Amino acid sequence: MKRVRVERWGGSLLPPRNPRLQCPFSAGERACNVPIRSRTLRPITAPSQQQRQFTSTRRIRQDVEIAAVADELEAPPATRYPSPRADRQSAKLAALHARLSLPARFPLQTLSRCLIDASANPESSQNNSSLALLGQDLLGYHTAEWLICNYPRLPMPVLFAAEYAYIGPATLSNMRAEWGVEAAAAPGEEVDPGYLQFTRQQAGNAMAEDGMHRIKEFEHIRAKGTGRANEQYNWRRGVSSRIVYDDQFGDLQSGLADPVVGPGGSMLTSTPKDGSSAAQLEPAELAPLDDASASGELKSTTLEQASASFIRAVFGALYLHCGAAALRDFHASHILSRHLPLHTLFNFKYPTRDLSRLCKREGFEPPVARLESETGRHSRTPVFVVGVYSGKDKLGEDAGSSLDEGRVRAAAAALRGWYLYSPPKDRVVLPSQASEGRWRPQMVDPGEIIT
Amino acid sequence: MPLQAIRQVAKPQNGVGAFILQCKSLHFTYCDWAGSSKGMNSFLTHYLPRFAQQNPQIEITVSPKPRKHPVIKGNYINGREKAVCVANMDPKEIVKKAVLLRDASGEKLKKVTKPVKSLNESVRGIWDPFHGHQWKI
Repeated sequence: MKRVRVERWGGSLLPPRNPRLQCPFSAGERACNVPIRSRTLRPITAPSQQQRQFTSTRRIRQDVEIAAVADELEAPPATRYPSPRADRQSAKLAALHARLSLPARFPLQTLSRCLIDASANPESSQNNSSLALLGQDLLGYHTAEWLICNYPRLPMPVLFAAEYAYIGPATLSNMRAEWGVEAAAAPGEEVDPGYLQFTRQQAGNAMAEDGMHRIKEFEHIRAKGTGRANEQYNWRRGVSSRIVYDDQFGDLQSGLADPVVGPGGSMLTSTPKDGSSAAQLEPAELAPLDDASASGELKSTTLEQASASFIRAVFGALYLHCGAAALRDFHASHILSRHLPLHTLFNFKYPTRDLSRLCKREGFEPPVARLESETGRHSRTPVFVVGVYSGKDKLGEDAGSSLDEGRVRAAAAALRGWYLYSPPKDRVVLPSQASEGRWRPQMVDPGEIIT
Repeated sequence: MPLQAIRQVAKPQNGVGAFILQCKSLHFTYCDWAGSSKGMNSFLTHYLPRFAQQNPQIEITVSPKPRKHPVIKGNYINGREKAVCVANMDPKEIVKKAVLLRDASGEKLKKVTKPVKSLNESVRGIWDPFHGHQWKI
């Protein structure tokens, strides 16, 4: 593979690769005159006694140069991390901008910033973490409002699953590939800004440094910093607590600050030192990235997480540069246009019991299963078509290979029909469209049946 | 918990909402000396700037490849590559080849026998013995 010429982009900033050259590409003084530390030569290759006899002035000069290069390598250059600079031109980046039909007000520099993950550059003004945070909230808001207004009776677990299907990390990771964005093998200043840059996580099966354990054996399996009190206990997580504490998909969050229980609470993991309050300690705990950058280490991440943060950052940046209307169109054309059959998300455990509870709650007559038709009762492939009726109304119908299976499937079909009710399209007005002067109160159901 | 949900990933439908051109990049190679690149050299100087302007979503790279026939290589979003040798072609023929590579999906060429391809399940459902024509014995 042909080597990329670094001089083209950062020639004035970088020292020449060959220290004997007199910097043909740079202004000269700064890069070439590397301060040589007097005559303290580092024994890079300890010369033997015989070799020392032939030590000439030329040899000494070479050693000095080698020591200077070694010093240079030890001291990290000022620009170690990839950064979204305005002067970095890239055909890939421009092609991506055009491929997504982004408005002209969306600058290429921001797009290149969206492609720099926090694991590639810990400087929060140069990576996409802030944009991704905004984009995640915007994606969640627009998807949830569309789902709730179009399917007002969707049960909470299914709503979580539907959001996961539309804007979950797996979907966003697929979208990165569908947008034609490739990931760089490793982040760096010299990488084309059109690549997604992040530090790759080592595989969990890789051997740790001690040669005895795998890496995954050192990791804590349970997520830390979930924002829940008493997270060390394996308490049951109900749907209501998932709505309050967890993320958009009902999953545990991680990396949040521990909830402060009280001044004398035993839940505090770090005790305040000499009079400093817990509130003063919090910023240091909240900023693990800054700690990592101070020690020169970068957090690593997976391709899926980095891809998801890139897509979220594009949405966040689109909102900031082009406004809410552009974001809504982009969301509708890239997220809501995806294919998701909602009726396949349901997994009923006791559909007949749920249906009778539902009929009771809604004041319908209790459901009755009736055999509609059958064939081959005594054969090895019997088929029974069962309908579920409430009074004279038929709630659902399905076929099964036994009478019981037909009854259960018919009840599940009736429940799916209830939960997947959708109002007429012309009556659905999303709350985010209120800024256009359109507003209509939307029906939202009290919720699923609790048994 | 009365019901649980099954997690899925929503499938893409390119062109239903946004349309994303499947050709990611086109790579043109030429030779300054060989006669088979005569048309390609003329294409690069007279037609390529306009082609690139009309297709900003494609990354275009041009590189010399001495003593070889000129080739256009297209890279596609599905990860595949399609290459066309344009030796001894007129510039206008090369434009046609470039457009062909631009419009290709990157998939292997295959014969389409079914008129409709859909992600939705069949409206009629699986066959059951109670609908349609009843056979009388």
